[in-house]
Amino acid sequence: MANNRMSRFLAAAAIVTCLACSSSIVAQQRPPVAHKIATHELATWIDERLAAEYTRAGIAAPDTVDDATFLRRAFLDLQGAIPAVAQVRDFLDEAGSFKRADYVDRLLNDDGVKQRFASRTAENLARVWRRMMVPASSPGAAMAVKLDPWLAKQFAENTPYDQIARKLLLAPRAPPPQPGRPPIAAPADPESLAGVFEEAVGVMPENLTSAYVRMFLGVRLSCAQCHDHPFTDWKQKDFWGVAAFFAPNAARGKTPSISPAGDRPVTYVAKLLWEEQPLMELPTDKPPRQVLAEWLVSPQNHNFAATAVNRVWQYLCGRGLAGSVDDLDRVSPEERRMLDDLAALFVASGYDMRWLIAGICKSKAYQQVAAAHFDMSDSFARRPLKTLLPEQVFDSLEQALNLPVGKADQGPRHSGQREAFVARMNEAAPESPADYKAGIPQALMLMNGKLTAEATSLENSRTLRAVVEAPFLSSEEKIETLYLAVLSRRPRQSEARYFVEHLERHAEEPDDKTAYAEILWGLINSPEFVLSK
Amino acid sequence: MSRLKRLCSPRDFAAPLSRRDMLQISMASALGVSFCGWLPRLAAAAGDSVAKRGKSCILLWMQGGPSQLDTFDLKPGHANSGPFKAVETAVPGIRISEHLPLIAGQMKDLAIIRSLSTKEADHGLATQQMLTGYQTRASAVRYPCLGSLLAKELGQPDSDLPNFVSLSPMRMADAGFLGPNYAPLTVSGASNDPNARANLALEDLMPRADRKKSLPGQFQVLDFLEKEFAEELQSEAAKTHRASYAKAMRMVETQARQAFQLEDENPELRDAYGRNRFGQGCLLARRLVERGVAFTEVALSSIPGSPAGWDTHTDNFNQVKALSQVLDPAWATLLKDLRDRGLLDSTLVVWMGEFGRTPKLSNGGRDHFPLAWSVVLGGAGIRSGQVIGSTTPDGQEVKDQRIGLADFYATIVAALGIDPTTENISPEGRPIPLVDRGGKPIPELIG
Repeated sequence: MANNRMSRFLAAAAIVTCLACSSSIVAQQRPPVAHKIATHELATWIDERLAAEYTRAGIAAPDTVDDATFLRRAFLDLQGAIPAVAQVRDFLDEAGSFKRADYVDRLLNDDGVKQRFASRTAENLARVWRRMMVPASSPGAAMAVKLDPWLAKQFAENTPYDQIARKLLLAPRAPPPQPGRPPIAAPADPESLAGVFEEAVGVMPENLTSAYVRMFLGVRLSCAQCHDHPFTDWKQKDFWGVAAFFAPNAARGKTPSISPAGDRPVTYVAKLLWEEQPLMELPTDKPPRQVLAEWLVSPQNHNFAATAVNRVWQYLCGRGLAGSVDDLDRVSPEERRMLDDLAALFVASGYDMRWLIAGICKSKAYQQVAAAHFDMSDSFARRPLKTLLPEQVFDSLEQALNLPVGKADQGPRHSGQREAFVARMNEAAPESPADYKAGIPQALMLMNGKLTAEATSLENSRTLRAVVEAPFLSSEEKIETLYLAVLSRRPRQSEARYFVEHLERHAEEPDDKTAYAEILWGLINSPEFVLSK
Repeated sequence: MSRLKRLCSPRDFAAPLSRRDMLQISMASALGVSFCGWLPRLAAAAGDSVAKRGKSCILLWMQGGPSQLDTFDLKPGHANSGPFKAVETAVPGIRISEHLPLIAGQMKDLAIIRSLSTKEADHGLATQQMLTGYQTRASAVRYPCLGSLLAKELGQPDSDLPNFVSLSPMRMADAGFLGPNYAPLTVSGASNDPNARANLALEDLMPRADRKKSLPGQFQVLDFLEKEFAEELQSEAAKTHRASYAKAMRMVETQARQAFQLEDENPELRDAYGRNRFGQGCLLARRLVERGVAFTEVALSSIPGSPAGWDTHTDNFNQVKALSQVLDPAWATLLKDLRDRGLLDSTLVVWMGEFGRTPKLSNGGRDHFPLAWSVVLGGAGIRSGQVIGSTTPDGQEVKDQRIGLADFYATIVAALGIDPTTENISPEGRPIPLVDRGGKPIPELIG
């Protein structure tokens, strides 16, 4: 750890030296790194590292999931919804040893344009990143939704991750609203929406400081706003040193400073983290924010790429390579080593998010079965059950229930129902993937809410009617179709047996639709539906 | 008293489900999927003999950190003072803000602590600290929040309603290591115009007409699927899911004893509480107390014009005044209503936020200040009509009788008849006392 700190300190010192001579560009200081490897090579690299970790932690290498579980996982993680019945059937019937890797590429890439993310995947990842940037429990969460189109555009175009951070920091500031003047209508170009992030976290220098260093450097600095951090090395001068870059009077060529409101007047001069001394001199050709941005995303700033890969890993695998994604000061040496090595490959890829996600999804690590018992103190090599995000639950319901999606059909996407559903789920949204917080109101909505009522209504439900009224299906096949529609897998023997008996119990009734409706209701309300195995 | 009796009679709480519906629902029990039977027995989990104490607690949570200098610890004449006048209350000698006139009238039933001194000044950490009674950071223990602790100590394991209800737009702390059985029912209310008409209804409590017949069959299927899943994967998520559904089913079965039907209340009483989310939340809290809910929290956070609640870094005085005008009628009516119904002696009402605010003004606002601030207790036999402790004339420090977090928590717990040294056992087998070690109830307030 000490070494690590020292090397980061030296790196920061090097950057500052470079900043002082304003003609140098930070980007040119990147050390020579290995070339970009292919995604399947990345998958192999990950699996070799995890094999070593299993040995170190003394745990048996976990099994790999079956095709159905893999497909549901990949669909949820990438496209944000479960697959359709036909997609599950096709995948299960397909032969070939590369079918999983191929499917990852299919879900990630737009067929037409090779370099683009599929738009559904881009939209899903946008929501996921927005939740990382502005957690659902924070006051700006509702406003942050407006950032989605911007993030979706970055993912669709596969903007390098360092560019994403730069764009956020250097986004043009909207002028403060003038009393009596109507706010300017939202411009049509999503690219202009980057500034929403800062509005959502609150534009005060203190808020921006906490938000940027947490999101992009995995550093929890906010405690040091009011006092020197009692448990880590962070001091008030660290917090306010960064805050100075956001000071309202920060201007080009002048070292910015800030005076926090308080009893004793203190002025802090702009200072970068892991750096002892404040910046003496700033380049005259760039504004302070640009200096900060270049430092933030520089490869010498090890926490930047490490935090990026940690967040991607956490989203896909349920637990970060370092468990505390927002606080890398608390990682173990093993976690840090794995993080730094993967981060180096990510830097060499040119901060290519699509490459990183594809490589992880193709690895056995991603495809391992979820641990039957999981604890956050477990090794990073184990996988927990994951909780679907609110939009993922809705979009999966839409898929399972075959709800109308078009505007002309007045589907729930267009009638405000999706919004209301997501809002209710947001009240108990998970703050990390392994976190399940849904309570009674969420249970009641899925049990008795309008969507469920219609979906299990004998007259209105598309899925139910398609299954029940199909003359060519046996009752076993009907049960299987309901399973494929909702849980994206075939029923186990015990399940098939139970439900055939369930149907027999209803045999006396005028029709067996009710019995199927009950099965569909149960599947929608089962824990398996809102979790990802 | 006769009115109280009428309100509490079981007939009044009878479910609006028809007799036939009830029969069908209870059939589910006959089929062995009784939702009550589903509920992992809380008493068994607690592993002890928690006697019914019949006491309840209502927490009025002032999100953002209210300014003590502009509510309960005014400093008339000092430079740190704002424009608010300190006015006499029902207890001679105790003065509070002029914008809390109805509360001033209830001062005989309230005790102000003016010398609370805590350590955290970050919203998140301070909230964790004030809601759990522990300084939680850098701790491996997931401390349960007050509501969960009291749900376990005071709640009846078999109740129709959850023993912890949170009427707040944001859930700030959870059941920690006590687990999902002690997690709150969070009711956020849905209203586009939160200040005009708060809607704190619990939605989707009633199955659609054409689904009622299917309830037993549905629950049976779900019970099977839950078990299948648990056999494959034991996880906290699956346990939480099961506990939430069990409680939700119980509430469907009993229709939550009509607790959430505020329209059953006298419109004049509803007006007196204030037709806003906080006011109606206080009224709902009283209805929950009547139905035996151990702990209810009502948050006063954003109101129109004050989106950040009590976090008044700017424009402190206009915002505190506006918030006081929402707080005053709601809190005062709650106290009166509880007293009228004979419930005040068994119900502790706690008023607090996560910290106070700086005595010194900056840019017309006050910032976070945990060193010397005020909280207020009332009910449950607290010796009221008095002030505990004081601060220096500038408000910067505690002058006498410094009260720490653990002492404050010990006082809350003791007022509810619980021994503060009672321990819970964490999953790692560590005994964790309800109140951080060393906490002593404030003797002037207890007994």
